[in-house]
Amino acid sequence: MIGLLKRDLHLIISDKKNRFFFLLYIPFLLLIVESYDQKWPYFIILYTYTYLIAITPFSYDMTYKTSYMMSSLPISRKEMVLYKYLLTFIYFVITVVYAGVYLWIINTLGITTVDYFNLEVIKAVIPVILISISFLYPAYFRFEPKIAQIVHMIIFISSFVAMMNVANLGENSLVSHIKFLSDNYILPISIVLYILSLLLSMKLYETRDL
Amino acid sequence: MDYILEVNNLRKEFKKFALKDISFKLEPGYIMGFIGPNGAGKSTTIKLIMNLLKLDGGEIKVFGLDHKKHEKEIKDRIGFVYDENYYYEDLTIKQMKNIVASFYSKWDDATFNDYIEQFDLDPKSKIKTLSKGMKMKFSLAVALSHNADLIIMDEPTSGLDPVFRREILDILYNVIQDETKSIFFSTHITTDLEKIADYITFINKGSIVFSETKDEVLENYSVVKGGIDLLDRDIRKEFIGLKETNVGFEALTNNKDKVKRLFGEEVLIERATLEDIMFYTVRG
Repeated sequence: MIGLLKRDLHLIISDKKNRFFFLLYIPFLLLIVESYDQKWPYFIILYTYTYLIAITPFSYDMTYKTSYMMSSLPISRKEMVLYKYLLTFIYFVITVVYAGVYLWIINTLGITTVDYFNLEVIKAVIPVILISISFLYPAYFRFEPKIAQIVHMIIFISSFVAMMNVANLGENSLVSHIKFLSDNYILPISIVLYILSLLLSMKLYETRDL
Repeated sequence: MDYILEVNNLRKEFKKFALKDISFKLEPGYIMGFIGPNGAGKSTTIKLIMNLLKLDGGEIKVFGLDHKKHEKEIKDRIGFVYDENYYYEDLTIKQMKNIVASFYSKWDDATFNDYIEQFDLDPKSKIKTLSKGMKMKFSLAVALSHNADLIIMDEPTSGLDPVFRREILDILYNVIQDETKSIFFSTHITTDLEKIADYITFINKGSIVFSETKDEVLENYSVVKGGIDLLDRDIRKEFIGLKETNVGFEALTNNKDKVKRLFGEEVLIERATLEDIMFYTVRG
């Protein structure tokens, strides 16, 4: 798992576009985007960063066929899938720490107040990340890169649109009217979905020709 | 006999190509050259051994173990070098080494650093800035730095200049001095194998043509040269492959004695090279 974590972080840091994105995305959302509810920019920041760290290695594997090399290393396919799913939580912790430090600096410099970055936001974003990844990973572990890329675009854009919808319209948004997404059910549903997705990905990746 | 690599009746079907009952065995302490023209099934066989492709039938044993059931244990003892660079291009040599090293139980930093120095590679260089030869050197350094017992190489010398190809062969020759290690080496540059291989396995159109010691192969096959007037329909059938020109013919045979009986002193019989064997067998 350490090897996969090292790989993912190295890939994020070594890419110039990613570095710029990580540096500029927070000020962009906080200072430029106006939100109905102040907590939503923080929600989007945590979601996007975690999602980006998760997706970057897959993008590389697509471009450079590096999955040949990774799958030739002493790690079973089941382990590779399991670790990838477990690493989502580590990516999330890294994101929370990074965003927390970044926002603390912004707050200290008096640029803007960041009081809405709190445990409530952190708790609320977890199910959304789990649900997105639950759909994303099986696509990458099974399909050809181009199809997986389409699934990624659909998931990312629809999640983003949904979040922007809630951010701009609050209780009048479409997402707020979907009953099963209410606070009581969304976390257990997302956890069950995540576990099912893990089992599905293991099965799919084990039988896949690279 | 304990084999380091044992492939039995391996089958894999694609829409337009199939591997048909591939079988061969490699003992510890030897180099096996895996030859065949482009598209013969060399890379597919290697991907099946590495469990990158799922087999449709047959069995692969590495170090006497089933290659799927003991995948992790087996890959810990295999060093691989592929025909292209499959490392992350945006990372430096050092970063990539750090990632790969954490997967192997017997990774040896000192050995890796020795190779990096010997190959004149800068650990701070990004992989995308390396030439094809340098990328191959890096792959080789990784493959040789975790005490692997089996080195699997897929066309490692293709597209490289003769000087570097010779360097690689010298390194492989040194590796094999430890008699517990083996090398399985696919290539279509057969002259490389004539220098270092102990066994030759020849694959063509998804089937094994032969898998024998190099000495047996070179002993069994001969090139026959003679005048065009010696050929008729029946004689032509006696050869594995035949090339005719206006002035004469050149042909490949694996039955030197019969050719001698047929032609006596009228033809010239020469030792065949691996390239001759591959050329005439593929062309017919």
